[in-house]
Amino acid sequence: MAILETLLNPAYLDLFYFTALGVIFSCAISFLPALHIYNVIGIFLLVILKFEATMAPMQLIALCIGMIVGYSILNTVPATYFGPGDESLSYYILPSAAWVAKGRGFESILLTGVGAIGGIILLAVLAPAFLWFMPGLKSITSPHMFWILGSVISYMILSEWPKGVSQSENCWENFLEGWKFLGIGIATFLLSGLLGFIVMAKTLVPIEFAFQSITPVFVGLFAIPWLITNIINIGQIPKQHDPESIELDWGLVCRGTFGGFLGGFFAAYVPIVTAGVGGLMAGHATAQRDGRLFVMSYGTCKTVYYVGSFLLFFIPGLSLTRGGLAWIVTPVVSVLTLKEYALFVALMLFAAGMAYLMLAPFTRMCIWIVEKIAYFWVSVIALLIVIPAVFVFTSWGGLAIMTVATGIGLLPVMFQARRMNLMGVLLLPVCINMAGYGNDVMRFLGLI
Amino acid sequence: MKGFTHFISGIAVASFFPQAVHMASQEQSFILCLGGIFGIMPDTLDFKFAKYFHKSDFEIKPDPNNLDAMVIAETVAKAIRKAEQEGRGTVQLHTMQLGSNLWRSYTLAFDSATSEVVVDIGPEVDTGQVPFEGTELKDPTKAHARVKVESQFFQQFDKKSQIAIMSGPCFEFVKRGEGKIEIVFLPWHRTWSHSFTLGMLIAVLVGLFTFFMVPEGPNPELYSIPRWMLYPLIILFGSMVHIIEDSTGFMGNNLFYPFTKDRTNGLGLMSAAEAIPNFLFVWTSIICILYNLDRFRWAPESTPPGIENPTTFFFWFYAIPLAVMAYFFFKGKKAKGKDKDKGKGKGKPYSSDFDSATSVERETDASVI
Repeated sequence: MAILETLLNPAYLDLFYFTALGVIFSCAISFLPALHIYNVIGIFLLVILKFEATMAPMQLIALCIGMIVGYSILNTVPATYFGPGDESLSYYILPSAAWVAKGRGFESILLTGVGAIGGIILLAVLAPAFLWFMPGLKSITSPHMFWILGSVISYMILSEWPKGVSQSENCWENFLEGWKFLGIGIATFLLSGLLGFIVMAKTLVPIEFAFQSITPVFVGLFAIPWLITNIINIGQIPKQHDPESIELDWGLVCRGTFGGFLGGFFAAYVPIVTAGVGGLMAGHATAQRDGRLFVMSYGTCKTVYYVGSFLLFFIPGLSLTRGGLAWIVTPVVSVLTLKEYALFVALMLFAAGMAYLMLAPFTRMCIWIVEKIAYFWVSVIALLIVIPAVFVFTSWGGLAIMTVATGIGLLPVMFQARRMNLMGVLLLPVCINMAGYGNDVMRFLGLI
Repeated sequence: MKGFTHFISGIAVASFFPQAVHMASQEQSFILCLGGIFGIMPDTLDFKFAKYFHKSDFEIKPDPNNLDAMVIAETVAKAIRKAEQEGRGTVQLHTMQLGSNLWRSYTLAFDSATSEVVVDIGPEVDTGQVPFEGTELKDPTKAHARVKVESQFFQQFDKKSQIAIMSGPCFEFVKRGEGKIEIVFLPWHRTWSHSFTLGMLIAVLVGLFTFFMVPEGPNPELYSIPRWMLYPLIILFGSMVHIIEDSTGFMGNNLFYPFTKDRTNGLGLMSAAEAIPNFLFVWTSIICILYNLDRFRWAPESTPPGIENPTTFFFWFYAIPLAVMAYFFFKGKKAKGKDKDKGKGKGKPYSSDFDSATSVERETDASVI
């Protein structure tokens, strides 16, 4: 009853206004080519925080809910047509590129939208249960997070299988051909991990831009290699079909949503693990095979990852800060009660509905752009926006880091290894630091 | 089973050792990961090593510019004839890559009713195995071939094998009782790597090393197993759980290699790539891990448990999900049975069984084979 009274109170209508505003902003944010959401929101909030005096904390949170929910649903569109901004998106982008190549990009985006809505509904349904079991889960797993991350790393590396098609009479030739891909994967992971240690210990980014120190790394590892590939490889994308309906059944929706939810929740709960990694593990755990299932489950996974990590922060008394946005809003949030949690769930549902309604027109707009302007030029323009943007926020030091990261980011692209290995940039240093061996490694590398 | 299933089952097994859980929480040890690594190790050894060093008696590399199904079928028949005379014969079939995303497909089947090797040249396909219409061979004499062999043959998977993308499959033909020829799919898989013998050997070697290198940890009086012995035991049980899980499928393992020569058949309870059985093992492992981490937490008298009531925990988080999985599993089986009956009536192929030679070649996670 108290929850209903809270939700139906007209005094809270302003929160819906700010949530709606957040969804609209997220449209613009997700349109910015190849940039990671948390960096963009970080900059955005710096501007917004100037209005902090006139905005109540819950209004700011409503704005953030709108932005993160909207972004998690709408970012699939520019990522599909202009390039992924982070690892969570690049996991999806290769299968999605195949759909685009067949003129079915719109359909794949709508499938991710359905998956995202399924994920949001599951989050809302399970929100009361989180209050019951999350404290227990946190208490059990807290001392064990480092080896859980270690297991994620081990699985990522061990689960990449050889791709070589050499048919030589010589066994060793075939072996080396197969291991070329695996070797590149392992090298990518280690090199990006090394870069992660360097950036965390001695970043070249000026101190005043410290909050953006990871931006050049992500842009270099994920965004620029994708844009370069597009510029080199792709001519015009084929005409995109605007479907009147999509082929789906409830079984597929339930399986996709369930698998995606598991991956997204794992990624939201375990620090540093992204939707891409979570999605891979959940996909294997639930033995996904259908292409539509993968695309839809990815939509769920990504949304649950972004929104779920923010939702966990609002569970009263849990103090579970996961994901960049939770860290960003920490200074403005003093007390979290059941009321804020219930409001979060309500605003999340509202934002998801609104973002889903915007998905089709937003997709049509992006298709219109890529049909009017050659894909080559779209990628060139995106590149011309990204590089100066990195310079503006991180200066020459940032550009230097971005250049090194681009070199590493191109490795999996050139050798068809998993791009997920690039997540070594965060997984390796964070895992080793959490286990308490960070200083030893940094000393060994001469970083301290 | 999926690689992830083996991996997490290995971790679950490791979590049953209280000392390992204490080492993880108190000494920042990665010892629990060892269970996962050795859980997936048998497939790693097969698909990253053994596969490359297996020598076949015959290799089939069809010429895309001079396609002839008869040439392929004859070569397979030669391998069968070799088995008739010498007891064993192997053949490796290769794919035909035409472009970066273009392949020519063909299928191989063994018609046990007529003792014929059947080969059909299929259309061109992309890497997603989507066929390109109109690329089929026009000449039926080149596109289809049947070659009769003397012996009768039998196989675990009575299905067509499609050879299209990446690397092709390998078959071994083994002469059995009454002169019948057994067709063994991927003869290099699930042999020495999936044996108790190898698990034991690695455990003994690691045990020798840890016996001399690993000192006794703090509070040894709390544990019944010395610390050095934990490592080989986790390795042994991690690899054993892989073998046990694989035995629930159709292909089986060679448990006592080199003392036994061939793979035994699996129990055939479930197919390796089926979603629900895989998830059942994964979920059981997650529940075991959480329960073990909680009950073996350090200083239980001063740290409140995460699971306050184990009965409630197992009811809500295990019994209920288990019931739901069982419902969908048997519902799916029933539907599959109906499809099969319908297919029989209309002469349609059966719906694909994941453990079959046909579907595994499309599998991205090799460990599912």
